[in-house]
Amino acid sequence: MRRRLGRVAAIICCLVLTACAGGQVRHGVGGPNSVSFALPPSATPNWILPLAIPGYTASYNGVIQSALFLPLYAYDGSSGAVARDDKASAAEPPVYAPDGKSVTITLKPLAWSDGTPLTSQDVQFWFDLVRAAKDDWGAYSKGLMPDDVTDFRVVDDHTFTLTLDKTYNPGWFTANQLALITPLPRHAWAHDPDPRKTFDYLVAQAKNLGGYNSNPLWKVVDGPFALESFSPTGQVTLARNPRYTGEDAARLDKITFLTFTSSAAEYNVLLAGGVDYGYVPTTNLGQKSKLESLGYRIEPWNGWSITYIPYNFNNPALGAVFKQLYVRQAIQHAVDQKAISQVIWRGTATPGYGPVPQDNDPTFLSDTQKNTPYPFDLDAARKLLADHGWQIGADGIQACQEPEKCGQGVDKGARLSMTLLTESGSDETDGTMQELKSELSRVGIELRINAQPLNTVLANGTTCEPSSPACSWQLSYFGTQGSWYFPAYPSGEQLFATDASVNFGNYRDKPTDDLIGASTLSTSPQSMMDYSARLAEQLPVIWMPNPPYQVSAIDTSIGGITQDPLAGLQPQRWYRR
Amino acid sequence: MTRFLARRLLLALLVVFLVTVVTFVILHLLPGGPARGVLGVKATAEQIDAFNKSQGFDQSIPVQYWDYLIRLLHGDLGASYTLNTDVSTLLAERLPKTLVLTATSTILGIIVALPLGVWQATRRGRAFDVVSTGLAFVLYATPVFFLSLLLIILFAQVWPIFPAQAAQGDTLADLLSQPGSLVLPVIAGGAATAVAYSRYMRSSTVDNLAEDYVRTARAKGTPERTILWRHVWPNSLTSVVSLIGYSIPVVFGGSLVVESMFNYPGVGLLFWTAARNADFPVLLGVVLVIAVTTVLGSLLADVLQLLIDPRVRVPGAKS
Repeated sequence: MRRRLGRVAAIICCLVLTACAGGQVRHGVGGPNSVSFALPPSATPNWILPLAIPGYTASYNGVIQSALFLPLYAYDGSSGAVARDDKASAAEPPVYAPDGKSVTITLKPLAWSDGTPLTSQDVQFWFDLVRAAKDDWGAYSKGLMPDDVTDFRVVDDHTFTLTLDKTYNPGWFTANQLALITPLPRHAWAHDPDPRKTFDYLVAQAKNLGGYNSNPLWKVVDGPFALESFSPTGQVTLARNPRYTGEDAARLDKITFLTFTSSAAEYNVLLAGGVDYGYVPTTNLGQKSKLESLGYRIEPWNGWSITYIPYNFNNPALGAVFKQLYVRQAIQHAVDQKAISQVIWRGTATPGYGPVPQDNDPTFLSDTQKNTPYPFDLDAARKLLADHGWQIGADGIQACQEPEKCGQGVDKGARLSMTLLTESGSDETDGTMQELKSELSRVGIELRINAQPLNTVLANGTTCEPSSPACSWQLSYFGTQGSWYFPAYPSGEQLFATDASVNFGNYRDKPTDDLIGASTLSTSPQSMMDYSARLAEQLPVIWMPNPPYQVSAIDTSIGGITQDPLAGLQPQRWYRR
Repeated sequence: MTRFLARRLLLALLVVFLVTVVTFVILHLLPGGPARGVLGVKATAEQIDAFNKSQGFDQSIPVQYWDYLIRLLHGDLGASYTLNTDVSTLLAERLPKTLVLTATSTILGIIVALPLGVWQATRRGRAFDVVSTGLAFVLYATPVFFLSLLLIILFAQVWPIFPAQAAQGDTLADLLSQPGSLVLPVIAGGAATAVAYSRYMRSSTVDNLAEDYVRTARAKGTPERTILWRHVWPNSLTSVVSLIGYSIPVVFGGSLVVESMFNYPGVGLLFWTAARNADFPVLLGVVLVIAVTTVLGSLLADVLQLLIDPRVRVPGAKS
């Protein structure tokens, strides 16, 4: 009797298991002419309005917005050169006046999905909203857009002229200022004659995530895709816009953006065939051949970015030490970028020696930065310190013995012992910091590592006054996914200019300020090259290897994918073979 | 009984209040604040100041807590800094999912554990007991993430019987529409419960089998099955039942790992992500929910014990 019961139970279990097992779709979750794309771990799209308020400017939001709403000027770096992507732009190339103080723009003959033509008033509408609420616009930086446009003049329905407050470098202005503009459907979105009230209304609508699927505001688009569904948990499906009137129509029927709780969860689903275009955690790169046998091709996706560790030049204990160029040179000599890139990042990171992205378009890259003045050389590091009056003490740490040689503000007995505030949660970052600590210790520099969540690192490693308790940090690292992603033109006005908003270490250098000013104002490309060379030599930060944006696993049956360093996707060009 | 319940409920309210105070103060004492993490590297000083002002971080902590308490009493848990959604909406979406996962895995774990524990106790020292105890120790020592990974590799990749992730969707109905996708998460979540409770049940049963009342029953000629199920079973159960209520925080903690591994968007993962992003309103909301369920769970355990075990008297009641 018991045996029979056991058999029956076993059969029932088998039946239940078979019934429960849903049909497993190999590669992807959608139909035959659709693609599923894995968003980064814990990334949940949360903003559809192409005018983001602070906190909602994540790149994955931008990818979805640009598929729905064409930017005035799109840029793309997937060809090897970061250049204007005219097919994905809403306007013809801009025409600058000979004196450079105005620019005339002609819109392409496009229409919104409700049939209304796209006109100059739609661009003016964007300007009206941004001017009325610039402090609430996520991309606002004082003195830049929209402050640098003093007048907007409509020439006709498709042409308008912007008057600028001074003569800018047209390359910089188009890439970093005009590219911020997205024509908006004035006829559908102008809720109130007062642009401030309209801005607030649109923001309130964009904050209602649950209403995205039904809100008529988001149905009026001019991009190659239209919104099919937007789940509050983050999964977004875009469908081909049947009323798209441009020259860059979608070839896929649908694209689904999938959210994952962790990179491990994404990887497990990838291995089970549930994703068409996903990513491989670096620690799993050893399984590349397995993924290839499953029909994926593995490609690193390099970002238009740089990675670095800022020095806090205002730190009361070590600020004066950091201000000595020879100390920064010695530290840079102790960074074995090639080993970190090859061993810790498994060949996916690229050494970086200066302020310009080094693994993509070389237009702005100086030879000085490319060839680095400070290659990994521990003997050179030791010699620099010894030549400037430092000696290794009984504790194995360099101490200043001859203050007149050590430099201004460095007292006798000052020790090269510093604390690095670094982000936790990444094996690669942990390994990088241990490698750095090990090499620096061989020079006699003590590095104490304080790993904290990224949020804590960003909150603490920020601009400060020397007298402030907040200035206790000495070095900080927030570059597991790259420290800084540039817009199309990689100038440094936000990073290394005196008092710039992201100049966390309070770096000050008049020649650098002049070069940054020249790169945004002058038409000469030499200023960017000089800027690249200057900061490669001056070391305002410790230059570190630049990790990839991600290592992608792409279903080999999908064509048309080019991995844009600017983190754009252009899914309209993807197709199923 | 009514007075006892009323007193316990008042005590529960006090505990929940203290939990909110402690959590709120600890969170708001964290250096740096959440602004830079929420707004990103590119945020300007003006934007950070504006964020801090809009969230009330420019006020003292007691004032901030008072505002929070007033909003809480009006049912307003605040809005997530990063998810663009109200905390109450997030909890309404995710709590049922976590409850389904934790309740199913806990109930299934207990259903397996209780008879297994009794069976082991009655066969103490014999082959079945030795083997099952050994297996239990192995399973107990296996981290949940490793067990999850093993299940995914075996049953989603090598033999693709079940999906590697839970069904995705906004509602509980979406999740339940693919019951197959729940099998692996439930097994991963329930295994530790089954093992732990089987050990408790085994020891409890072994203790009870050595009691005088069992010897007396045997001397009176009571059949062994009757002794086991009518006398030993209820007595052994009491100590295990009381553990269930207290294990709620542990179960929530375990669900975090399972949710992460199976791409299961529940409360555990919401808490983890919020902690990484310093998303204070979400953290406070989840802590509140866990505090409430824990005190209710312990209350339920006490009440169940009163009902199951006639030897337990309501404190303060006349004998």
